[in-house]
Amino acid sequence: MNDNRERVKPGEKVFDWLLLLFSGGLLYEASRIDGILPSLNSPGSFPVGLAVIMIVASLIILFSHRYKRRDPELTTAGDEFKAFLAEHFQPHIIVFSVFSIAYLVAISWLSFYISTFIFLAIMFMYYRGGKVVSSLVISGVSIAIIYVLFTLVFRVYLP
Amino acid sequence: MIDTFHYFLMAWVDPHLLLLTALGTLGGIYIGAIPGLSVTMAVSILISFTFAWDINDALALMVGIYVGGVYGGSRTAILLNIPGAPSAVTTAFDGYPLAQRGEAGRAIGLSTVMSVIGGILGTVILAGTAPWLADMALEFAPRDYFLIAVLGLLLVSTLSGKSLARGIFSVALGAAIGLVGMDMVTAQPRLTMGNMQLLGGIHYVVVMIGLFGVAEAFYQLHNLNKVPVKQKVDKIIPPLKMVLKFLPLSMRSGIIGVVVGALPGTGGDIASLFAYDHAKRSVKNPKVPFGEGAYEGLVAPETANNAAVGGAYVPMLTLGMPGDAVTAVIIGALVIHGLNPGPMLMIETPHIFWFTVGNLVLANVFLLIFGLTGIKIFTRVVEVPKAILIPLILVLCVVGTYSINSNMTEVYWMLGFGLFGYWLKVFGFQMGPIILGVILGPLIDNTYRQAMSSVGDSGGQFLLDLVTNPLSLVLTSVIVLVLLGQTPAKAWFNGKLKRQA
Repeated sequence: MNDNRERVKPGEKVFDWLLLLFSGGLLYEASRIDGILPSLNSPGSFPVGLAVIMIVASLIILFSHRYKRRDPELTTAGDEFKAFLAEHFQPHIIVFSVFSIAYLVAISWLSFYISTFIFLAIMFMYYRGGKVVSSLVISGVSIAIIYVLFTLVFRVYLP
Repeated sequence: MIDTFHYFLMAWVDPHLLLLTALGTLGGIYIGAIPGLSVTMAVSILISFTFAWDINDALALMVGIYVGGVYGGSRTAILLNIPGAPSAVTTAFDGYPLAQRGEAGRAIGLSTVMSVIGGILGTVILAGTAPWLADMALEFAPRDYFLIAVLGLLLVSTLSGKSLARGIFSVALGAAIGLVGMDMVTAQPRLTMGNMQLLGGIHYVVVMIGLFGVAEAFYQLHNLNKVPVKQKVDKIIPPLKMVLKFLPLSMRSGIIGVVVGALPGTGGDIASLFAYDHAKRSVKNPKVPFGEGAYEGLVAPETANNAAVGGAYVPMLTLGMPGDAVTAVIIGALVIHGLNPGPMLMIETPHIFWFTVGNLVLANVFLLIFGLTGIKIFTRVVEVPKAILIPLILVLCVVGTYSINSNMTEVYWMLGFGLFGYWLKVFGFQMGPIILGVILGPLIDNTYRQAMSSVGDSGGQFLLDLVTNPLSLVLTSVIVLVLLGQTPAKAWFNGKLKRQA
């Protein structure tokens, strides 16, 4: 039998539950302004309304999963979890995420130019499978362009 | 009248503004074309650099990037079958088959000319309708603004994706982000989680750079090693006979583009889809079937998406409401420079309106020049490997965010929004509605509370006003119809009509 129902992506249900949780948190935060039932014209009325809308939308999204199905190859929750990791936690995505966070932290310690040069050089070398010299040259040229463009032309403050 | 002409020609006669518009248009074509870069991303990052600029300089550059960027997406759609921008998705349907048939040059030439025709048509309609609409908007009560903003958010959520619930969640999330900070009326902290640093609110440019820059960069990591197929490009300038043949379809598509572009929250992507659908329905016997390289399938979306640029400026300049994500950023640029987007803009600073109109026409002239030339250099530039592009996008996002307030905490927020945006994008949520929610949310809050205050906080009187005032009644009816259109009531009504027929 041909099943044309929309497929649920690995991890989608968990994410949608997290959104519901987030919306609940927002309702709690909104209720701290003027209570859970604020008067019609108060600072808390709109935030509470928005949080309720988000909760309802999240519930509808969760309910819509009834009309979707898993990929036939993913029979168990464990399979789905493995597929989720394989899709979103590929080495090049993890490396970029980790180095992005490290780069932002390093800006305060090493200065913007040094940390940017190191970040770009490492990323270029990693993604281009080596090519050390050309990666260093491209990183150096990029830093020079950033300096000329943002410091001399746009005259903005750099970190 | 003389003043109007003077303002209109400002960018045409000032070499500095002329250069900025030209640079913006040329840069926009490349930004729009390079998959992974988007006009919204570029304008979001750029706005933070232009804080200290003269407003005319900033607007000239942004208008150029906007016009060039909307067009630029079509180039890679035709050459590589990778739409550089969402507004060029439909262009790829027939553009890429044309390129495969060896007609890439002709397809690029025709899309350039049609984009310019659409762009100029959109600007003419903007110039003709905006002053009239602004005059009318002066009569609007706060509740009317409230209704228009609600309608805008509803349209964003209904038209911007496959799932209405996801669309509504996105706009509500955006509006909640827009409300973070101190309440302007009572000075009460709202949604700050007790964090003092959030009392000043979250700068929406930080959210924009995170969602459009960082999230997109992370998302593009999935296509890191995609190798584009090269095409042969020649005979770019289309014959006049060909242009004239498609002119009626182009005009119709242009009008669709302006109308769709003018709806708050809808931009070139939806305009091009509507126009493509119109072309498919109205052109009965195309020489080549749609989807297999029909020129009509190229003309309609390309005219419509550039016409939508002029359309998107209409609500922005007359009501202070963004027509799409890019005009949402431009509203921010106007506010930062002390201007007041909305009906008062025409009265207080008419030069900004006519300068923008003149600048849009000028950008379209540059679009014609740059669109028909330099294709060979272009094909090399757009092949920049993502391995180089993606880390550079992150660096630009850091620079752009830091330059807003010289605050590293905002840079961390930007990365946080980027990561959150990545996951939202992965699971089918769109970024545009969130940004429009950030802009329209506080506007709805303010106008709603003003409207409530004007009726002595009486909910009954507020509801009564919605149906007794003619304009409010029209707007309320449209909102109800849009809502009903999303329920089974529409299918029931359609079924009843069919049975009666």
